[in-house]
Amino acid sequence: MQWRLSAQGQITSASAATSDQVFTPAHSTVLGAIREFLDIRPTPVQPIQFTHKVHLANGLQCVNCHVGVDQGPDAGIPSVSFCMTCHRVIATDKPEIKKVAAYYARGEDIPWERVYGFEPSAHVKFNHAPHIRAGVDCKECHGDMTTQTVAERKVNLTMGYCIQCHKQRQASIDCVTCHY
Amino acid sequence: MERRDFLKISAVGSAAAALDGCGNPDHQLIRFIPEEELIPGVATWKPSICTQCPAGCGLIVRVMQGEAEVIRHGQHGLIKMGLAKKLEGNPNHPINQGKLCPRGQTGLQVTYHPDRVRNPLQRTGPRGSGQFKEITWDEAIKQLVAQLAPLHADTNNEHTFAFVSSPLRGQRATIVDTFAKSFGTAPTVFDFLDGDVTKTANYWTFGYGAVTPDIANSNYVISFGADFLGTWNSPVAQSIGYGTMRKGRPGQRGKFVHVEPRLSQTAANADEWIPCKPGSEGLLALSLAHVIMRDKLRPAGRAPVDGWSQGLSDYAPEKTADQTGVPRATTTRIAHELAASAPALALIGGGAAAQTNGFPNALAVNALNDLLGNVGKIGGLLFSPSAVAQETTVNPFGPVNIEALTSPTRLINGGAMLLYNANPVFASPVAWAVREALEKIPFIASFGSFIDETSVLADLILPDHSPLESWLDDVPQSGSARMVASLAAPAMSPLHNTRSMPDVLLDVAQQLGGGLAKSLPWKTYEEALKASFTEIYKTRASKDAKDADEFWQRVQDQGGWWSPDEKPAALKSSGSPVMYVAPQFDGDPRQFPFHLLPYASQMWYDGSLANLPWMQEAPDPISSAMWGTWVEINTQTAAKLGIVQGDQIEVASQHGTLQAPAFVTPGIAPDCVAMPVGQGHTNFTRYASDRGANPISILAPLTDSETGSLAWAATRVKISRIGPGKIALFGGGLTETPPELKHR
Repeated sequence: MQWRLSAQGQITSASAATSDQVFTPAHSTVLGAIREFLDIRPTPVQPIQFTHKVHLANGLQCVNCHVGVDQGPDAGIPSVSFCMTCHRVIATDKPEIKKVAAYYARGEDIPWERVYGFEPSAHVKFNHAPHIRAGVDCKECHGDMTTQTVAERKVNLTMGYCIQCHKQRQASIDCVTCHY
Repeated sequence: MERRDFLKISAVGSAAAALDGCGNPDHQLIRFIPEEELIPGVATWKPSICTQCPAGCGLIVRVMQGEAEVIRHGQHGLIKMGLAKKLEGNPNHPINQGKLCPRGQTGLQVTYHPDRVRNPLQRTGPRGSGQFKEITWDEAIKQLVAQLAPLHADTNNEHTFAFVSSPLRGQRATIVDTFAKSFGTAPTVFDFLDGDVTKTANYWTFGYGAVTPDIANSNYVISFGADFLGTWNSPVAQSIGYGTMRKGRPGQRGKFVHVEPRLSQTAANADEWIPCKPGSEGLLALSLAHVIMRDKLRPAGRAPVDGWSQGLSDYAPEKTADQTGVPRATTTRIAHELAASAPALALIGGGAAAQTNGFPNALAVNALNDLLGNVGKIGGLLFSPSAVAQETTVNPFGPVNIEALTSPTRLINGGAMLLYNANPVFASPVAWAVREALEKIPFIASFGSFIDETSVLADLILPDHSPLESWLDDVPQSGSARMVASLAAPAMSPLHNTRSMPDVLLDVAQQLGGGLAKSLPWKTYEEALKASFTEIYKTRASKDAKDADEFWQRVQDQGGWWSPDEKPAALKSSGSPVMYVAPQFDGDPRQFPFHLLPYASQMWYDGSLANLPWMQEAPDPISSAMWGTWVEINTQTAAKLGIVQGDQIEVASQHGTLQAPAFVTPGIAPDCVAMPVGQGHTNFTRYASDRGANPISILAPLTDSETGSLAWAATRVKISRIGPGKIALFGGGLTETPPELKHR
């Protein structure tokens, strides 16, 4: 890679790619705005056909992989190294497992597509840890994972859904609890 | 059908035709496998060490999982890793006790700077052209060893070799020292601001190089040019002490008098600002001493300073008032106040030491402290055990040593210069012709993270990690009377393809072999640090842990080791006789009527922090100016010369000219002009290049008579108005935007 020092003292290189994204909640198309309003989202296409059904049937718990869920805001998805701790030896003949091994061999993490999340315009932050502490079961928001392969939005997570449960359990419904 | 359902269906119909996935552009970048599994959204605080100025404060770093854009094996991608997000002071550290100055806060920007060198570079174009190509570390080390091996093998040392760096401490200094000496020469230290003047004077008088003033318990502080709340010595520790002196003791406020031709940010805190004539600080100190002795105010039991038995009658205020510019009544009154306010203490630094008579000035102030009976006492001058006088084994960077390095007889046998954390091309007067001299050296390698005026001359760049990505240690020379040895593991993994400088030296040492390899037996800096802290454990801290391994872990968790609080050891100062020598200035006063007073900027320090945008954006404490340089000029002087705020003026010495906008202020003596040091880089990242003007460039090559340090406050200049100009001032509303303020 060739380097040049510009007159400004900047180091520039021919193949530098930047991701200078300006953050804005505005939508770039009218269609995008309409879709958000009607809560229409494209179905995510996952790079690996991960099956929750099989993993749960084999005795894994949610929190074995989604480790952050009781400690912080994000449940998190483990890296491919974590998958390989088992799949180094388990089901290595299956085509999807072979794909996982291939990612690992390339030093690449699996590029999972996001399933759950809120539009930036909602200005809302969700924190998993207090919900786990309060004893809320994963399936109340994520549906029954024992019937799902890849994760799907089985539960319609509107604000009304959150408020209803908050009211029932007498958790705070102050705006700033979630919108900050 | 319900209207709502109808709308939904028709929307789905058209939306389906225009699906575009998530629209997430990050999908263009691959994701590397994370090297550490971190809980997302949960932060930890890790200890570290601030390296932004010589004080050596302790840090804590907030680290949280984030995604960084990196290049791995030539491929651009994202990686989840622990990222440093915020710096704060380490609450347990004896020097700064949880506080941190703006320079310290900005350390974060070094790690994430867009113009950081990310890979070893090899020069491809002419020297200084800035054309480099990326090479691998293996290739870079191979080239470095190939260049150094013949010089190392030459046991007669008839070649040129220099390891030029800022003053180093701790195990880093030991490694560099051992490495350089194996080539037959001590390291060369470059330090524009804190030259050797006060250090040498302190060694002479007290046996210690740096002072730790116990301001917290003092009743009277008089500072001769020492910007102790901003840039001098250990500013954070001193600020904490100052707060206690003024407000922390019910019923006691303590008085503070500042003596300096300009109103610095420290002076602005004083009860009295006394603008003495430049270079006369030592004379004023001796006048105060004279009054104390004449009026029999010397503390009881305090033996007279050697050679002062005649009461220093030559320094009576009536005889010195003209030279100091301070009225005799003021001098007499202050002397009385000093004597009546024990413990009282005097400090010297900044421009007062940067004169041709800097050394006598420093000795005079040291002797004044001796007379006041505060040396080694609570409320007076204390000393950290780390500051004990050591045999000076470094070569100061200056004309004498440059000449020695670049003499034809030495260069003919080959030569190399290794450069670390120093920018002498920028921070030396043009009159020294540093650039021309360095260009003669056959091989130059730099370990810096940035291309600057000096490292652009390098043939090979071996970029160091940023401090937050490095193993760090430090032995601060002042700021606490306890012995302090700071230690920090890296707060985060390296973002780029960089390597720790000491690790590179250790690798090269092993490859060069022989005695050098034996004296630097460690494979990594971490190993070297563990060895030195095991020494500390054995000799001083065996009660602090059950074994060396446990000690090593505890010291890392704490951010360092420090000795328990002790009473200061009784100190006997040498009381060397003091003679005042008048300062000399460059330039005929009739042609060059003003003293040019450069000063260390709170934000850019000596210019090495000008590449950090927060430091450009932070307003100067006195003028509130940002993103540029300015010339402080007295209100009456400006009126006489027809200069108004913001006017572009030319400042000319016998050695060069520069231009900058005027800042009109009553806070400077009428025959002085002042400029912050740090801008005027020609080549120092996108934020500092071609911005402002560099007062160092036009300084005269005058030096302090005793130590040979550059007398950077000894240049006289003339001023002329060029025309209307622009200055960006935060106070009073910004009417200018920074991009408009690029000057030559």
